[in-house]
Amino acid sequence: MTSISLSSALKASAAALAIAGAAGFAIAQGNPPTTSSPNPATGAGQQAQGNTPMGTTGTTPAAQGSGTTSSDSAASGSTSGSGTMSSSTDTSMPRRSDTDTMRTARADRN
Amino acid sequence: MSANLPGLAPGFLALAVAAALAGPAPARAQGELQSLVHWVRATGDNQGTSFAVIDKKGARVHVFDAAGKEQGSAPILLGLARGDDSVPGIGERPMAQIRPEERTTPAGRFATEPGRNLQGEDIVWIDYDAAVSMHRVRATNPAERRLERLATPGVEDNRISYGCINVPAAFYDTLVKPTLGTRRGVVYVLPETRSLAAVFGSRIADSSSSAGASRRR
Repeated sequence: MTSISLSSALKASAAALAIAGAAGFAIAQGNPPTTSSPNPATGAGQQAQGNTPMGTTGTTPAAQGSGTTSSDSAASGSTSGSGTMSSSTDTSMPRRSDTDTMRTARADRN
Repeated sequence: MSANLPGLAPGFLALAVAAALAGPAPARAQGELQSLVHWVRATGDNQGTSFAVIDKKGARVHVFDAAGKEQGSAPILLGLARGDDSVPGIGERPMAQIRPEERTTPAGRFATEPGRNLQGEDIVWIDYDAAVSMHRVRATNPAERRLERLATPGVEDNRISYGCINVPAAFYDTLVKPTLGTRRGVVYVLPETRSLAAVFGSRIADSSSSAGASRRR
C-alpha cells in the first residue's frame, strides 16, 4: 500500500514538472526576438562602424590602408604628407605600360 | 647594342641609304599606298599612334607619325614567296621546316608592339603568333647577300626572308625604333596577290576611287 502511494506520488511529481516545463517553453516562444540590446554599450560593440567589415571594429579606414584592403579605401583615408600613391593603388589599377606588357621573347621568321 | 649587329657595316649602310633615296616604287603600288594613307588619315584608323605602310610590290617601308605625316621611307627585304597570307601554325615551326613557298609576308592591318626575339634583339612584332616582325637587316648568312639585296635599286632581289621585314639598320634606329619600337602602333602591309579591297575592305576601295578622281582633276 505504501509502495503504491509512493509510486503515485513520483508519477504525479514528474507529470507536474513536465507540464511546468512545457508551459515555460511556450511562454518563451511567445516573446518575439528584439534587435535592441538592453545594454547599449555591449550592443554597439558588435556593430561595424563606418561600414567596416565585421571583425575590424576599432580600426579606422586609414589603418586599413596597410595593405589588406582595397586601394580605394587606402587612397581616401591614408593621404599623408608624402604625397605619393601607395603601391596597393598601383596594383589595383595596372598601367598599360608598353614595357609591362611586352610579350615573351620568341624566335621570329628572320 | 646595335653595334653588334652585322648589318651595320658602313659601306653597306651607305649603299642602303642611297638605295632608299632612289628606287621609286611602281606606279600601281604608289596608288595603293596613297589610297591607304588617305583612308587612314581620313578615318583615324591608326588610333592616334605612329604607323607604317609596307609596300611589298615596291619593297619599301614608309613610316608616319601619329598625325599621318610621313617621316621617311627605306627599302626592305621581304618573305621569299609571294602571297598575302601566312600558313596556319607557321609561327610554331622551326625555320628549317618552312618550305620556300611558305615564306610569305602576310598582308593586312597589324597592331604592332615592341618586343624581343630569342637572341635578345629589340624588334617590332607585326604578327606575334605568326612570328612576323620588323627588324634590322641580318647578314648572318653570307650566302643570302641580304645587304647587297638591300642596296640594289631593283625590287626583284628583295625577296629573301622567311616572312619578316628587314630594314636598313640605320633607318631602323633613326625612325622605326623611336616610333614603333618603343610603343604600340599600326603596320599596314599592302597586298601583292589580292586586291586592296579584299584585304582592307571596300571602304578603302571607295576611298581609292575618290582619291584617284581628285588626282585626275
